[in-house]
Amino acid sequence: CSLFLNYKRQKFRFSCLCHAEIFQEFAVQEKSVMFWINLSVLDCLTIFGTSSLPGTSTALRMCYRGYGYPLMLFLEEGGVVTVCKINTQEPDELLDFDFCSKNVVNKIILQSEGLREAFAELDMTSEVLQITMSPDKPYFRLSTFGNAGSAHLDYPRDSDLMETFHCNQTQTNRYKISLLKPSTKALALSCKVSIRTDTRGFLSLQYMIRNEDGQICFVEYYCCPDEDIAEAEL
Amino acid sequence: VAAKGQMTFEVLFGRAIHAIARISDEFSFDPIEKGLALRSVNSSRSAYAYVFFSSMFFQHYCWTAMSQPCQKEKQLSLPCKLIIKSVLPVFRCVNVLERNVEKCSIYTNINDHRVTFQLLCKYGVVKTYKLTCQECDPLQAVFAKHMCPNILKVHSRLLADIMIHFPTSQEEVTLSVTPMKVCFKSYTEEDTDFSKTMLTEIQLNPDEFDYFQVGVDSEVTFCLKELRGLLAFSEATSVPVSIHFDVSGKPIAFSIEDMVLEASFILATLSDVEKETASQQPPDFSQKPPWDGIAPNTEPNTTTTFNCNAGNICRWQVYFTRRHCKDFKVAKASEIINLQILHHVVSYFYKCCIFQFHSLFFGAVSCKEDAISHTFHSLATASDTEEDFGNVQTQHPKYWCITALTELVQSTLL
Repeated sequence: CSLFLNYKRQKFRFSCLCHAEIFQEFAVQEKSVMFWINLSVLDCLTIFGTSSLPGTSTALRMCYRGYGYPLMLFLEEGGVVTVCKINTQEPDELLDFDFCSKNVVNKIILQSEGLREAFAELDMTSEVLQITMSPDKPYFRLSTFGNAGSAHLDYPRDSDLMETFHCNQTQTNRYKISLLKPSTKALALSCKVSIRTDTRGFLSLQYMIRNEDGQICFVEYYCCPDEDIAEAEL
Repeated sequence: VAAKGQMTFEVLFGRAIHAIARISDEFSFDPIEKGLALRSVNSSRSAYAYVFFSSMFFQHYCWTAMSQPCQKEKQLSLPCKLIIKSVLPVFRCVNVLERNVEKCSIYTNINDHRVTFQLLCKYGVVKTYKLTCQECDPLQAVFAKHMCPNILKVHSRLLADIMIHFPTSQEEVTLSVTPMKVCFKSYTEEDTDFSKTMLTEIQLNPDEFDYFQVGVDSEVTFCLKELRGLLAFSEATSVPVSIHFDVSGKPIAFSIEDMVLEASFILATLSDVEKETASQQPPDFSQKPPWDGIAPNTEPNTTTTFNCNAGNICRWQVYFTRRHCKDFKVAKASEIINLQILHHVVSYFYKCCIFQFHSLFFGAVSCKEDAISHTFHSLATASDTEEDFGNVQTQHPKYWCITALTELVQSTLL
């Protein structure tokens, strides 16, 4: 039993996987239930705690009666209850990146601590983030090419931050930086991140998030490489 | 090898960049044989910053002059210009840098128009920044520090403690010195509404300074915002700050110097507006004042003098009397003329309008100074409230003051 939340945009997809154990109560009657809601509704309600006081927690109850019914969200924080009814939409085709393990060429698992600062400091004047993964130097490199010049962050394979390093082939791929920026929120919450690229250069980022009770939840992020590629500068 | 308590290069360099960032958006990066010089000047050319790291400061400093095959003599590499915005991210979190960065290297390649900063960080992470730079002409400020009559040397911690009392919005600060005391105070313009402003004034004794030399009493006003960068930098170095200055209008230099580094911030100071104003032609009193009829000004004002609600005449008077108000000094002989003008003005006001007269302090202006100053003092204290007037006509106490003043002035001039 699990809950999948998928966020789709043109060239990337966010998935959040939460196992039933995370929930205090989890009851789904049909085998699979799927619908789409417009996220901007949630954004404007700023329900999901942009600024919660330390020590307070928000309780959430999600109810869905079935096809045609709205999604009900009940939130309680400090005695204040918010009830939201959000109309659902016909489920759209899930963007299938066709990313499967057997096509994975390079895989790295890093402690998130090492990447957080890097992502926060990314030169946003650069259109792309270039990721190089290689069995040889520079091993794992993040590069930007902005107005001021280029910046490169090199992570050695023997770094304390590196939990797993399986790189078989030197690959350099560029991804639109504007598409990658949204993933920094998940990075901030996570303790570990797995970075994988497949034969087509598609990128998969998997963030492992541990909550206060020690339960684990994953956020997955898929992105396709930028098509207008010039010779990469190493 | 860094001594205990001494900051590492990248932290100091980072702070130097942050300091220079207060002056301008770009700076010149000039590696020379003796060391690395960073220079910057602001757009209005009223502030100049110079930071120099001697080659001894670096673990490894390698500088080679490039020789052009077509020229006979060796051509020194020209300084190049870097944009602060592009360098700041490299040294963004200076505090974090201290913990995370183990080593910082700088490479320049003029042919390529690049300066490369490479930081070796925690966990073996290497950050490489290849920044583009432009060639630029060398900047230099000409300022003869040794010619300054006033020199103060103070520990950077003390200077920072002084400046912290000024709100961050305070743009300009006035440094006033006499052989007896030093005073830092907020700079106020003549038309400041004091009831709505917070003023800060800090007075220090000469013995609080490591070195104190005041050759000429002066009051200089400079931009605090631009200085703050140097203060942060000097705190990091724990080197005392030397202040070289002269009279208002001449630049003031804040500098630090030790074995391996040197920094100077040279700021222009405001020239004395009051002196200029007083030497102007007194306004033409034959003209009707630009206000309509009787217009008493009821605005409370904690400072001085004639308070009229319009006209050049008034404003000029404000300058005049307020100047004396500040320090009760004996005015110079040349200011006798002001008394005559005062006479004109007072009689003019006497004829034309009734106005509120809060207080007037007047410094003596002639050989009859004792008599006048004494009388004027009592005039001043008496004017504010009705009770003080005693047996005098109470119809319009303030009006009385003007009459008395006019008579007194007239009698003095005769």
